[in-house]
Amino acid sequence: MTKGESASTNSSRGSGSIIFLFFIIGLIGSLVVGWIIFPMLLYSEKKQPIDYNHAIHLDAVDNGCESCHFFREDGTFSGIPKLSQCVDCHGEVQGSNPEEKRFVEEYVQKETEVPWLAYSRQPDCVFFSHVVHVKTAEMKCEVCHGPIGSSEHSKEYEQNRITGLSRAIWGPSIAGFRKNSWDSMKMDVCGQCHEKETGSKGPCFQCHK
Amino acid sequence: MKESSVHENAKKYGMVINLDKCTGCGSCMVACMSENNIPFKADETNKLDSITWMRVYRLTNKEPFPKTEMCYLPRPCMHCGGKGDHGHSPCVSVCPATATDYDHKTGIVSQIYTRCFGCRYCMAACPYRARYFNWWDPVWPKEMESMLNPNVSPRMRGVVEKCSFCFHRYQLAMEKAYLEERRELEEHEYQTACTQACPSGAIVFGDLNNPSHKVHELKKHPNAFRLLERLQTNPKVYYISSREWVRRSGDNYLIGENKTSTK
Amino acid sequence: MKMDRRAFLSLGVGVAAGTTLSPLPWKLMDDISIWTQNWSWTPVPDDGECTYINSVCRLCSGACGITVRKIGNRVVKIEGQNGHPINDGGICLLGLSSPQILYGQERVQRPLKRDGKRGEGKWIPISWENAIQEVFSKLQQLRSQDMPNRLACITGTDQGTVPRLFERFLTVFGSPNYIRMPSIVDSYELTLNLMQGGPSSVGFDFESADYILSFGSGIIDGWTSPVRMFKLNSQWKDKNIKCVQIESRLSNSAAKASQWIPIQPGTEAELAMGIAHVMVKENWYHPDFVQNQSNGFAEWRTKLMANVNLEHIATITGVHQDVIIQVAKEFANASTPIAICGQGRGLIPGNMREFVAVHTLNALKGNINQKGGVGALAELDYIDWPEVMMDAIATKGMAIERIDHANTDHYPYARYLMSRLPKVLLNQKEPMLEMLFVLRSNPYYSLPGTAIIKEAWEKIPFIVSFSSVMDETALYSDLILPEPFYLETYEDIPTPTGYLYPMIGLMRPVIQPLYDTKPAADVLIQLAQKFEGTVAKAFSWSNYQTCLEKTLKDKWDTMIKKGYFLDTSLSQVWKKEFTTLSGKFEFKNMELKELEKETTPELEGSKEQYPLLLIPYDSLRIASTSVANPPFVTKTIEDNVLKQNDVLLEINPITAKSLGVKEHDLVEITTPHGRAIVRIHLFEGIMPGLIAMARGLGHETGGDYLYGKGVNVNSLLGSIESPFSGFEMAYATRANLRHV
Repeated sequence: MTKGESASTNSSRGSGSIIFLFFIIGLIGSLVVGWIIFPMLLYSEKKQPIDYNHAIHLDAVDNGCESCHFFREDGTFSGIPKLSQCVDCHGEVQGSNPEEKRFVEEYVQKETEVPWLAYSRQPDCVFFSHVVHVKTAEMKCEVCHGPIGSSEHSKEYEQNRITGLSRAIWGPSIAGFRKNSWDSMKMDVCGQCHEKETGSKGPCFQCHK
Repeated sequence: MKESSVHENAKKYGMVINLDKCTGCGSCMVACMSENNIPFKADETNKLDSITWMRVYRLTNKEPFPKTEMCYLPRPCMHCGGKGDHGHSPCVSVCPATATDYDHKTGIVSQIYTRCFGCRYCMAACPYRARYFNWWDPVWPKEMESMLNPNVSPRMRGVVEKCSFCFHRYQLAMEKAYLEERRELEEHEYQTACTQACPSGAIVFGDLNNPSHKVHELKKHPNAFRLLERLQTNPKVYYISSREWVRRSGDNYLIGENKTSTK
Repeated sequence: MKMDRRAFLSLGVGVAAGTTLSPLPWKLMDDISIWTQNWSWTPVPDDGECTYINSVCRLCSGACGITVRKIGNRVVKIEGQNGHPINDGGICLLGLSSPQILYGQERVQRPLKRDGKRGEGKWIPISWENAIQEVFSKLQQLRSQDMPNRLACITGTDQGTVPRLFERFLTVFGSPNYIRMPSIVDSYELTLNLMQGGPSSVGFDFESADYILSFGSGIIDGWTSPVRMFKLNSQWKDKNIKCVQIESRLSNSAAKASQWIPIQPGTEAELAMGIAHVMVKENWYHPDFVQNQSNGFAEWRTKLMANVNLEHIATITGVHQDVIIQVAKEFANASTPIAICGQGRGLIPGNMREFVAVHTLNALKGNINQKGGVGALAELDYIDWPEVMMDAIATKGMAIERIDHANTDHYPYARYLMSRLPKVLLNQKEPMLEMLFVLRSNPYYSLPGTAIIKEAWEKIPFIVSFSSVMDETALYSDLILPEPFYLETYEDIPTPTGYLYPMIGLMRPVIQPLYDTKPAADVLIQLAQKFEGTVAKAFSWSNYQTCLEKTLKDKWDTMIKKGYFLDTSLSQVWKKEFTTLSGKFEFKNMELKELEKETTPELEGSKEQYPLLLIPYDSLRIASTSVANPPFVTKTIEDNVLKQNDVLLEINPITAKSLGVKEHDLVEITTPHGRAIVRIHLFEGIMPGLIAMARGLGHETGGDYLYGKGVNVNSLLGSIESPFSGFEMAYATRANLRHV
């Protein structure tokens, strides 16, 4: 073995660890990017126009969620209430909540609809029938929407910068892991439940339009 | 074939169109356009790229004046069941993207625009030219976007579309039924836009399997026929015409082929 | 630490491994695929509550009940109203396309004043106040110069409160020149007037008729109330009722009739006389009606027997004698047969000899004013405004002859003669009109003889259009005072033409007006109130809606609830007695004798120079009344009617061969009235020697979806005036073709 050879082996050993170090840097760096930075970049955060307290409303009404999110006579689901529904109670400022005061002043008195951001809005190609799930299959709202009824504040609305969809569709885990049944509203989730409950995912246009 | 295809209470929605009554007025075409957000361009005279889920064809008997006769034939999607009604319709069996499938519960052939990647195999396979390709992005003059129907998604460039038998109307009718704790629809609750609009009452729509629906009897009319029956596509659209030449033009015949082969 | 090549590669491997183990690629792929499926530029329609509102369509005289589907505050679709007496759920393609007009680019969004030359399309927005003031000062000038009769007004129909308010305004202002657009309403009114005594409008009880003989009426091509006729056509088929179509071209109506009898254009009157001849000769008429309820039959019969020769009729009409006899026999054997006429949609009043001859057939069967027959309807008399007080200027103005000479010694039988107006204006020695109002009609486009109309228009110094869309008449006007579209306002809709019961429909706003528009009647009320004295007094309502409510009185509530008012007791609404001089049905009175002398004017041009005959035809897929095609309707036009921007000219293959033209050849068509470039379409269903072109194309407006598509057939046609009535009877023109 010559000196030179030995040196070269040393350097190759040394460079071996350097190479490994670079591998680790690359690995950890990209993991950080993929798991932490990417989700931060992917979603923009928006505030709801009014900080809404579901809990207080749910206490005040008789018919649970359907008091405000009701079914129309034609079986369609009304979704987020229109101003006209709110006005029934909030024609005047009722309490001391500054958000309520702001709501009455900025929307009720000006007769403009509140531009609520719908956490659960699916893209236009999706047809979803609330009535068959809630009435026929007697599913609880929480199964898909989670315990939103007991929330005291509106959480941030996170919007996907690429798709424009709400984060609730994909779910809180960027990896798509689900802890709760309401953690994702992707087609796979629908499909799994349908397969379990009805024996098949159903034809495409059962849920697509 | 999957087991699920043999449903006990399976519906088989279909149409019977009386060509003696059809006046070729075009109401069905426009009712369809309005209901289904069908786009329109400045020039729609190239009928190969003019999207008309429901298209009314004009047939003539090719006899010289004054023996000339004319007949109009409205052509929606035939919602072919394929041989034995197993759901092997020409388009479904060739789609590489599963963007079109056969629903054994209603007998309706779907088209899922977001799934379609525009290979147009289905268009080549469809013997009825019922499928249309979006060569361009649909553009509505800004104000006219106000008249778009939210129950049907506007399509995008590069996908195929076709008549859905107004399936969204079925969905909406079912929503009402579910709210009223029913699982079955009355005949009048689910009607396509063309059927509803037809001022002549030439189009009758319903469940071909249900004896209480009008189509059940009408399809057995001695003058009833379907288009290209010999291909065994098993279409769900029946036509009635009292004129033999019209019935014969529903299929292709070789010159001199036995004239009695038509029903 | 120095990064060499291997270290760099290692970093890359690390990044690759790390990325693979992170959600980034998978989530990104999913998001990108969703993005590609939902382009941001593809519109997503807003969802919301679905509501339905009933109203009445005003796009033609059909008066169909409509149900408007709204999502939130958007008009999404028009559907036929279920259970409505006219259309019971059915609807035509034009009505269906109403939202495209409502939201269309052709809407006039605010009052506009012309800037630049007429037709140039340059406008200056102007406030309502200034616009009304401008019209007012011009009107005031006319009155101060003692020339109120130099104001004229053209409306589509003369029924209903709004047209009647215009007529009222002109009267109290002092102008007799209120003009209704021509149509078969003119000729049917006159027919009834001459034979049964007027005034009345015609009603057909097709619902109970058992044989239909149509002299070219477009039963399924838009004649009278189109959707009602579609429904009837199907009922006739269900009940096995024979329908015979007499027409020179295989129209849709001919194709769907039980029997098609081709005829030489313009000889329908002769054929009807031939059929009458057979019926009389064979004693196949209703003896009781003829003997007891009619007048002049014997004289009429003698002359008919002496003058009419079946062989001759067969020669000129091209209808074989056997066919004439067959039709006469079938008509006679039916118990409630109805014979009708008025070509196509019935836009041209036509030949009075034909109308009288055809109605004579109904009379021979005694099928008049009875179930299953043709009846004279008394108008619903719900408009009972106080009589106007006339001041001296108005009285003087009203005493002057009408500009179109209708209802004068020259044309004693006509009420309105719109088609004469261009000729009068071109021959005027001194200015006859200073100002013209145009409401719900498009005379600049829709009258035969476009070149003459264009020239005549130049003679009118000030034209005010009330159109809610930019049509040709609006384009060539000086001031546009846009009305709301029919979906945005209240109005009464009069009885549809030919319906057997008098009826009032209530049109109502289904959406807040989108633009700065004002109902024409409100403009009129405001104008009137600027005047002092009698003019203001005649318009004492605060606004049009009050006027309408007060006019309809107790009917208002019913109509708000039901959408229409209808009296369905035939015995009450059909006139029982004839109001002629004799008190009987007239086969031959002074006027009818006068009419008999009329000969159809020769067509212009020589046969040598123009060997072909051009006939216009109506298609339901091309709107040809006051409304032009919205995009959906244009989309339904077949490619053998319109190809790119070329209109196709129908020609029989035999004629084409003799002329050496082939399918899709570009040719120049020349008539004595104009020329145009068209494409050839070979059609077996048209009589050799004839060529046919669709009405309703060749618009100068309509944007990308209509402008410049095809040729306006009116630019090739010439006006033909009936010497007897003065009515327009342009049924054809001579023409020639030349390769280009």
